[in-house]
Amino acid sequence: MAWSAESTDEELMLHYREGDAGAFDVLYARHKGGLYRYLARQCRSAAVADELFQDVWMNLIRARSGYTVQARFTTYLYRLARNRLIDHYRRSGRTSVVSLEQEDGELVADPPDEREPPQDEALDAKRQAERLLGLIAELPEPQREAFLLQQEGGMSVEEIAEATGVTRETAKSRLRYAMSKLRRGMQEWR
Amino acid sequence: MALNEVHVGTAKEEEDRDPRIERLYRDAAREEPPAHLDAAILGAARREVGAGPRSLGSRLRRWHVPISIAAVVMVSVSLVVLVQEEESKRDRAPAIPTIPAPADQPAAPTAPPTQPEAAKDTMQRRLAATRSAQRASREETETAARSELAPGSPPTSPAVSGAGAVATPAGKPAPQPFLAAPSAVDEMRAARPEGDSAAAGRMASAPAAPAEPQAARSPADAVRAAPLAGAIAMKSAEQVRPPVWQGFEKEPPEKWLARIEELKAQGRGLEAQEMLSEFSRRFPEHPLPPGLK
Repeated sequence: MAWSAESTDEELMLHYREGDAGAFDVLYARHKGGLYRYLARQCRSAAVADELFQDVWMNLIRARSGYTVQARFTTYLYRLARNRLIDHYRRSGRTSVVSLEQEDGELVADPPDEREPPQDEALDAKRQAERLLGLIAELPEPQREAFLLQQEGGMSVEEIAEATGVTRETAKSRLRYAMSKLRRGMQEWR
Repeated sequence: MALNEVHVGTAKEEEDRDPRIERLYRDAAREEPPAHLDAAILGAARREVGAGPRSLGSRLRRWHVPISIAAVVMVSVSLVVLVQEEESKRDRAPAIPTIPAPADQPAAPTAPPTQPEAAKDTMQRRLAATRSAQRASREETETAARSELAPGSPPTSPAVSGAGAVATPAGKPAPQPFLAAPSAVDEMRAARPEGDSAAAGRMASAPAAPAEPQAARSPADAVRAAPLAGAIAMKSAEQVRPPVWQGFEKEPPEKWLARIEELKAQGRGLEAQEMLSEFSRRFPEHPLPPGLK
């Protein structure tokens, strides 16, 4: 059975497992941007992001023969990425910057916005984007991860919980806190 | 009930989302991996599955098996045809070439034998060359035949000296025409210097001893005259040498008998027998001395 551009990720991966490199090309085109941004936001270094990005895809390529559909392909891909990220943290000696209280407790003070209030709408869009990316970078890591998995991987709460190995409620809580902080940080631009 | 719970859960999730923030994020986040990473990853993916350029590879892959089968069949058929042609050439090879007598042969007959005799001689030589070619791989048989040439060994039946006569029981006389057809092995034996019977290994590579230039020249002539013969036929042609009675064609019967006696005295019983057979064929009316009867 041939694949098409409308085939699901899982179908494409199965075709690639059977040796069809064309199916992989489509799969890669679909997910390369989201995965790259997920890694870039998490490790905050373009060079490291490049390395991790390549490693994740290479791991996927090497593991193709053993691929079976047990979950959505996105969950599978981002789990590979998360494992590689944790491995990178471990090797670089970086520890989690977020305590349980910060994650679950109600709020750490938002970072102060020291800029002048926006005067021009055109200039405002660029500043809003910069502000939002800054807020995301300052999110506690689990919350940022949940937010990125939702936005870049298109995952539901359940899939985020599965990919990160936590309960659904925890994943949901992380998302809520993340969104709440971003909303508050961007309140001035409303 | 369950549907309501799902609906409520989904509604709460929707409450946790902020379309404005999400849209803003999508507008702000546009980073893509560098092109060299794309190339490296896609290249690795293709290498992993052993694929060539994408569409061409997937199209060719489905033809791998049929093309392989067709190639194997074609090679097999070609081999069979080649082998059959080679065999047919080998069968025809001895019949086409002629073995010309050397021009500078010192004892060349001035008056060639009559037409039937000449044709018979030629046929006999060809027959001998063919049989030698067929026996090229049967070294053991030849070695056994050579061992009978050793001086002092008991004289064997004339049939033993004939080509392919190894299986003939000793003492059982073979038909007379067979005696007159010296095989390549017998001719080699005669061409060898006396006392050289132990040098059996040299027979194939050394066509003849330098003391007998005719014998050395004849194999080469035979090779040149047999363009269709294969390597085996060439090898056997090298082993062909003139009959032991060559040079006596014009001699009177007395000289023949003297030479036969001489050969017998030297212990070359097979050659004496061969020459005696030829003598009987050429001079059927001539009486034989008591010692040769």
